Amino acid sequence: MAIIGFLILFPLVSAAALLCIRHNLARRVVVCVSAAAIVAASIALVAAYFGYAAAFEFSSVAIDYVCTGLSVVITACIVYYGIRYRNVWAVMLALVQFVAVIVLEYLFAHDIHEKIGIYLDPLTLVMALIIGIVGSGICVYALGYMDDFQAQHSGQKDRRPVFFALMFLFLSAMFCVVFSNNLLWLFTAWEVTTVCSFLLIGYTKTEEAMKNAFRQIIMNLLGGLAFVAALFFIVVNCKTLSFAVFLQMGVSRPDLVVLPVTCLAFAGLTKAAQMPFHTWLLGAMVAPTPTSALLHSSTMVKAGVFLLIKLAPIFYCSASSASILAAIPSLMVILVGGVTFAFCSALAISQSNAKRVLAYSTVANLGLITACAGVGTPEAVWAAIFLVLFHAVAKSLLFLCVGTAEHHIGSRDIEDMDLLFERMPRLARFMMLGIMCMFIAPFGMLIAKWATLVSFVDTHQVALIILLAFGSAATFMFWAKWLGKLAGVAGLPPNQEEGTHRSEWVSIGLMAMLALGCCVTLPLISSYVVEPYLHYLFGGIALRGEAFTAGISSSNLWIASLAAAIIFIVLFAGLGTTKARKVDVYLAGVSVDNSGRTFRDSLSAERTATARNWYMEGVFGEEMIAPIGTICSALVIIIAFAVSAISLPGLI
Amino acid sequence: MSFATKSPWVIHYDASSCNGCDIEVLAALCPGFDVERFGIINTGNPKHADIFLVTGSVNEQNIHTIKEIYNQMLEPKVVIACGVCACSAGVFHDCYNVIGGVDQAIPVDVYAPGCAVRPEAIIDAVVEALGILDKKAKALAAKKKGA
Amino acid sequence: MGMNIIYIILGTLAFAICAPVLGCLLAGVDRKISARMQGRVGPVLLQPYYDVRKLLGKENASVNATEGVYVTCALVFTLLAGGIFVSGGNLLMSVFVVALSALFFIMAAYSTRSPYAEIGAARETLQVMAYEPMVLFMAVGVYMALGSFNVATLTWAAAPIITDTWAIFVGFLFVLTIKLRKSPFDLSYSHHAHQELVKGITTEMSGSTLAKVEVMHWCENILFLGWVAMFFVWSNPLSWVLAIAVALAVYFLEIWIDNNFARVKWQLLLKSAWIVAIVLGGVNIAVLAYW
Repeated sequence: MAIIGFLILFPLVSAAALLCIRHNLARRVVVCVSAAAIVAASIALVAAYFGYAAAFEFSSVAIDYVCTGLSVVITACIVYYGIRYRNVWAVMLALVQFVAVIVLEYLFAHDIHEKIGIYLDPLTLVMALIIGIVGSGICVYALGYMDDFQAQHSGQKDRRPVFFALMFLFLSAMFCVVFSNNLLWLFTAWEVTTVCSFLLIGYTKTEEAMKNAFRQIIMNLLGGLAFVAALFFIVVNCKTLSFAVFLQMGVSRPDLVVLPVTCLAFAGLTKAAQMPFHTWLLGAMVAPTPTSALLHSSTMVKAGVFLLIKLAPIFYCSASSASILAAIPSLMVILVGGVTFAFCSALAISQSNAKRVLAYSTVANLGLITACAGVGTPEAVWAAIFLVLFHAVAKSLLFLCVGTAEHHIGSRDIEDMDLLFERMPRLARFMMLGIMCMFIAPFGMLIAKWATLVSFVDTHQVALIILLAFGSAATFMFWAKWLGKLAGVAGLPPNQEEGTHRSEWVSIGLMAMLALGCCVTLPLISSYVVEPYLHYLFGGIALRGEAFTAGISSSNLWIASLAAAIIFIVLFAGLGTTKARKVDVYLAGVSVDNSGRTFRDSLSAERTATARNWYMEGVFGEEMIAPIGTICSALVIIIAFAVSAISLPGLI
Repeated sequence: MSFATKSPWVIHYDASSCNGCDIEVLAALCPGFDVERFGIINTGNPKHADIFLVTGSVNEQNIHTIKEIYNQMLEPKVVIACGVCACSAGVFHDCYNVIGGVDQAIPVDVYAPGCAVRPEAIIDAVVEALGILDKKAKALAAKKKGA
Repeated sequence: MGMNIIYIILGTLAFAICAPVLGCLLAGVDRKISARMQGRVGPVLLQPYYDVRKLLGKENASVNATEGVYVTCALVFTLLAGGIFVSGGNLLMSVFVVALSALFFIMAAYSTRSPYAEIGAARETLQVMAYEPMVLFMAVGVYMALGSFNVATLTWAAAPIITDTWAIFVGFLFVLTIKLRKSPFDLSYSHHAHQELVKGITTEMSGSTLAKVEVMHWCENILFLGWVAMFFVWSNPLSWVLAIAVALAVYFLEIWIDNNFARVKWQLLLKSAWIVAIVLGGVNIAVLAYW
């Protein structure tokens, strides 16, 4: 309990301290010490509560008032920026939400006192580890990155204190999201993450940054409004503010909570940047890379899928409910997730901007997690949790690598990463490891996809099987060609790795070790963390009287873990020198500079062969297929809301 | 006989031939003569080839190309000069830009004269080249063992 | 659990010994039949073996130090995929490990930075994208018909799975042409004298590296024919004969296709493979799921 309090409050203290510190060295010390403390605390938390769930009696009127206060601050902040940058929608949505929250708190929820304020279960522990370790790792990385960033944007005012304060505030809010059982606290933390990412995206204050930041806040305020609507329903009909109690009610009678579950799921979808709301996450990449890393891997979007995974038991039970309407939220989540996965994977093929590829891949993977949560069977939840875990570590590793590469080669275009294997040998290997972790057997992400496939087949989700198959094929395409670009070797171009900050190496190394560690210990994580959670979650339901078995036998998991270790060794130790005679590359002419692919052609002219990867804009271009995905998922959401509104007793 | 002689893969390069010999070379490699019976394949890739068939004479322009293709081939390898121009530059021997036969650029193992060289002569030359290839392969194997 | 891993290791060893032998003979038969179809006599049956032995005897030279390592990884993972399959292991795992092997092969070509090899590698990547959905549907179809991904389950099945999955089988045959690198789908690399790409993805591979690639293709071919045969095996021991006969017939069909069709463009490859996958695979899976 004390550790939880520490995890929520300590980042706040650090944030406050960082806001005041202007001195570089002092900031360095504070960030490193805080990060180490948060990592230590989250590991201690896991050690203390390993493998079981706990609920804590903790309530305080003071915190309720703090929540109200935060709502005021959040609204004021959005209104201030909305007026300053003349964005009517943001101001309106913020004010509507504010009024709704105040009405809810003081007219409806005033008499409800939730005793169990804080809770813990293995899923929370996994999330806490991700936020604590990956999140603080990114904060440390940001030290070196922001030094370079400031040096490159020397004309601008040094706003790094705000930046670092926001990063730590973000972590605190995320801890609050995963630990809160009181829905009002959860909602307040949810909104804090929205505003934090708004401020972080708009950090540079350029026109583009502000435009994208406003897109983010408007989409997420829509989700927030849906959240408030769900809260109204829960308070009025269920007379509770406890997330756990609500979930139990939903599990026992999924047909009675169709509308709130749809609303909560909608909030989760907006935050998880599912189509049609994926554009906010794409826009978010204008921010400095640590922000993107934080948003994509450990915070923000993970809050969205966290909420959906929490709702998974309701989705699971709704499938067997007598009422057909009960399955509406589940269907919405499944379809939106599946469509997002397939379309965003295909869209990533047409992108050459590394950060944009990463963004599409994030949205796609979140789609897969969403679809798994929507299916809701124990196998699907198993897959969803592993997808969250592996995505967090692999994606943060990739973002940090791309950020460092960008500062050293001056571009984030994949085509410019040609020969990175030689120019930045260590970094390229880390990036290759990250990419492999994202899509290929035997690494964790694919094992999770495998479990996903099994769960889709077992539940006869034909549409999802098809979407998954085509999405996975597209995934292979865009990762493999990037990997190929990195793998190129020719001559010995100058090493550009020097001058990389040590803090960057530490964080990148940490992420790489985490990624590899998770892949290799996957069978252990499965049997000691995730499976107990599933027993805890579904053991009580036992609707279909079936014992839980993971879709994949443990011997296969062990083989995968072994193969992952072998590939890691090959990547970092096996690709060295050779005794073979070096021959030139065939250029069908006379080489002038063979490693530079320059040759003399048949007319004695010097030519340089260039090879670009395939982007296939004619097939997978954004304007070709993005509208289809957006329209499909928007229709699904609209229909789901319409139908679930009908289900509301007494509405018609 | 070593395995090198059982699958001689060929690369054909037209130095500055009048195309007469090239047509014959391709004729020899085409299904009519079916040289694949002996494992011969026209690869078009120096990295895969064992036998280098050159037609035409060497001049200031193509001498670099011939050397580059030769260097990209892996040992054991043999070179066959196909046609009189490749053997000695033939009627072009005193052209202002002609250096001479292929042996002016790279070591030649077998000379197959003729204007144009007959397919039978090419096949004959390849058979003779196989003997040289065999010797080279054995020498390389001995060297590998020694090393 | 421990036993399973031992079976897979034993299976991999057995596959590593048998598949190259069988694959080599198959490649010899392939060249012989192709030659006859073109009105030629063709090479001796053991010609592929001679080729590989010759390549192994070549000088040790390469364009860089990494290419050979990647190709070795590709070969090892092909053997592992075969081992998983022949030991009666998980079909989906076998499919995934084959994809891993394909990735290493692609990386080997990319690592050379040769313009020709890079185009070959890009085309190979496209080919993987084209056939992957149908291959996944194949695995899913087997699972739905059999109730398990474990290939060993076939030996006590009451009926061959082809009865439930014939549409998937036909779709799989379509993409098999891509996987076997047969014309019209031999975009990345061809045994024929298509010259516009020099030798596509293998342009820079030479000597023992190329020998490994050849052996890898032999093993792949055997594994893929194993997947074909799988559709015809049930508890009756005689079904093995039928299965092998069908696999050989399918390979003959592929040789016939190879010799009768001109290479297509990538657009047609991708479109046709995906349409076949969604129509034959999707419909068959829907039927299995709902009826």
